Amino acid sequence: MTPGTEVQLTERDLRGLLFTAEMYGVQLDLLAGLLGLSTGRARPVLARWRRLGFADAARLGPGATWVWLTRRGLTACGLRYTAVPPALSRLAHLRAVTVVRLALEATGSYQQAGAYWRSERRLRSRMAGRVGIREHLPDAEIHFPDGAGEPYSGECWAVEAELTRKTVSRTAAIMRELLARTGDYGCPAAEARVPGQPPRHARVLYVCSAAARPTVARAAGTLGALAARIEIRDLPAGAALDGPPAWGGREAEP
Amino acid sequence: MIRRYLAFAVLRWSLRLAWRLLKAAVTLGIVVAAAPVSLVAGYGVLLAWLLGWPPRRLYTGALWCLPMAVGWLAWTGLRARSSGLVFTVASAPYHAWLSMWHLAAAGSVAAAAVTIGPAAIPPGLLAGGLAWSYRIYSMQTGTGGLTPSAPVVFDVRQWRRQVRSAQARIAAPGSVPLTAKGCVLPGAVIRAVGHPQRSVALLPYARLRSHQVVIGTTGTGKTTLLLRLWAGFMAIALQRYAAGSGRRPLLVVLDCKGGADSRRVADRARRVLRAAGARSTAIWPDEASLSIWALPPNQLITTLLDLVEHGTGAAAYYTDVMDTVVSLAVGAPPGPPSSVADFTGRLDPEWLATAYGAGGHESELGLLRSAAGQVADVALRFRALFRRLGPGLDGPGTLADADVWYCILEGTAEVSVAEAQARALVDLLASYMTSGAGRSGVEALLAVDEFSAVSRRLPVWQLYERARSLGLAVQVSAQSWQGLAEDEDERYRVAASADGGIWVLRTPHPEPLVALAGTRRIIDTARRVAGTALWMDDGSSRVRHVPKLDGDIVRALGAGQTGYVYRGGVTYIQVKRLVAGPAALTAPPAVPAVPVWGRAELDRARPEPDGAGGLPDAGPLLDEAFGKEPR
Repeated sequence: MTPGTEVQLTERDLRGLLFTAEMYGVQLDLLAGLLGLSTGRARPVLARWRRLGFADAARLGPGATWVWLTRRGLTACGLRYTAVPPALSRLAHLRAVTVVRLALEATGSYQQAGAYWRSERRLRSRMAGRVGIREHLPDAEIHFPDGAGEPYSGECWAVEAELTRKTVSRTAAIMRELLARTGDYGCPAAEARVPGQPPRHARVLYVCSAAARPTVARAAGTLGALAARIEIRDLPAGAALDGPPAWGGREAEP
Repeated sequence: MIRRYLAFAVLRWSLRLAWRLLKAAVTLGIVVAAAPVSLVAGYGVLLAWLLGWPPRRLYTGALWCLPMAVGWLAWTGLRARSSGLVFTVASAPYHAWLSMWHLAAAGSVAAAAVTIGPAAIPPGLLAGGLAWSYRIYSMQTGTGGLTPSAPVVFDVRQWRRQVRSAQARIAAPGSVPLTAKGCVLPGAVIRAVGHPQRSVALLPYARLRSHQVVIGTTGTGKTTLLLRLWAGFMAIALQRYAAGSGRRPLLVVLDCKGGADSRRVADRARRVLRAAGARSTAIWPDEASLSIWALPPNQLITTLLDLVEHGTGAAAYYTDVMDTVVSLAVGAPPGPPSSVADFTGRLDPEWLATAYGAGGHESELGLLRSAAGQVADVALRFRALFRRLGPGLDGPGTLADADVWYCILEGTAEVSVAEAQARALVDLLASYMTSGAGRSGVEALLAVDEFSAVSRRLPVWQLYERARSLGLAVQVSAQSWQGLAEDEDERYRVAASADGGIWVLRTPHPEPLVALAGTRRIIDTARRVAGTALWMDDGSSRVRHVPKLDGDIVRALGAGQTGYVYRGGVTYIQVKRLVAGPAALTAPPAVPAVPVWGRAELDRARPEPDGAGGLPDAGPLLDEAFGKEPR
């Protein structure tokens, strides 16, 4: 950017930049879906972000181009995350989580409730990089603010996107941990699970691939009464990394 | 007679002098006539001398400049008339040369340089390369230089310049990326002997999938090298995995030193590997645990027996008794034990009698009756062992939980504990690799740092053999040759099996490695000295074998410098340090252990008569987002 040039960002830009920052990185077709554009029309938006030095993009794997924010972009968003491209080993998972978020945020109930998506990246940043293997981070939290007449007001949900099968015992252990947690992520260890305190997550939403669903269902079955707080759904179409575009699949607009 | 001899001698001397003067005059004439080429050649030689370049750099430069010359000739041909095309192109260098002199005489030096540049630069660089090559050759064979010590001084100074160039290269941002063309780039090449001379060292991924050995004392940059190799392995393996041409990588590091230093390295490794793409790094046993109870029963019995040191001779009887008791405890009808408490609880004659008492286990009950007297002793030994081993092997957790497992073994403080832990961890890795998940889906690298701390109970040849059959690469590092193994035979076996290469950092005793690297043939010339800067014409040459890995250079290597020995060649490399992300915050202060909160406690804490605790139905929202769910 030349000195003196003013940065002209629209509300749509801000929404896209913040969304991309929170999700580590987003594929162009999903970004187009978020911005309400076709993939072709999303490209100039991306090109502008790149010109401004806010974003970078590359083909990291199968499917559409991946977009992520640079250090400059993250600074502009007021976020103190480390600016790195999405990890190759996580591309499939990141896409699945993004598709889940888009699916939920598109619903009227979610919008009406004013729910807020708290991403794994934000949770991880609160942990200051000290996530031990014993402590499991959900893929996201959904916070429903207090409000009269809203069915889920005041609730906090943990979201897990499951693509691959774990063992039943491991999955059940993760479910128990999420359901038993009382403290926020990044809180002192002594506050993470305090008997007598209300649990942090009212429910855990598992959105599973066809391969992972039987394991998740069996794991939930081992929880007894707690299984009532586990919600299991199938991943929406287009969640697969090399599948057809799910959002913004309109290649050309009239 | 004497007068005639003296006259002949004077005549011979005069003829020689005249011949030399003639040669010098002709050479000078050519140099002056081809001044532009000479200038470029001289500049090239000066640059190569100052920067320690090999002649290849100048040849490559000449090749890169060739299109310029071709373009210039083509442009000249296009401007020429078709009838005299060949003559015009052929005489273009001559006309350019004439124009250059005219322009230079007129004071237009820049225009003269531009005019002659396309014709003079490629041959100049080529001539410079040849001259530099001849200089190196004459010094290596001992036929060059004014004094007898000149070749030695030349080599020492060239090494210094080569080091300076390599250090400058790695200091330039972006000049040495972690990976390129599917290879790991450990750093800048200082000097290569028997390997291609490149500016940046290239290590193909396949070498990291083979066994390697790293030797270097403390403070020589061993950790920096290892971190770069690990990060390179992780980055390339993840790229291959994403492209569908490889399996998921798994890096297991056994740091057998222990203490605060190992924990600092672990933190650095976590940050570096995260930047390389590793999703999660488990620090064992500080932050993560594994479960030996996940091993298949037969393997579990072997591992449990290996964890305990046994005597020889008469003590073999007790070994057999222990084998029997452990087999009975693990193979009991309720199934294999799931924890230390479960296992040690079974080492009780009454428990075993009850477990096998259901009928159909007469032979086991017979064994139990024979060994009943020693069961309490066996239990005592295992209780002591597990107390010393700590909770790291008592689960939960499997190797599939993380991309990188950094295992800290207290090999300095508690050798026997570290040995047992190493044994168990290797067994877990071997079992994981042979299991369905590991065999079909993992490319693993096992790196054992400070191997000597555990080599007594973990024979490296056994490790290598097992690793080879499992498709697992092993990287062993030690502070010295002696630290590689207990005895000389085993050390040679370790080094000879390193088909992925040997990394030698500064070490005071490099002789065995020098011998392993092999020799090369050089021409050694002896000349007769007639005085200061005066050599006689007579001399003799012979073929001599010199080591490819120079022991004196290895002893004097600086921090971050290493020699990579592979297939009879050596490349000296200045390793590029990986810059990790910001340091993690210190861990929160230790808090009293929170008791495991099971279902019963949870239910007591928050009664949920209707299961979901009166929560509203989430179905409408989820149906809207993900479609109707069959209920």
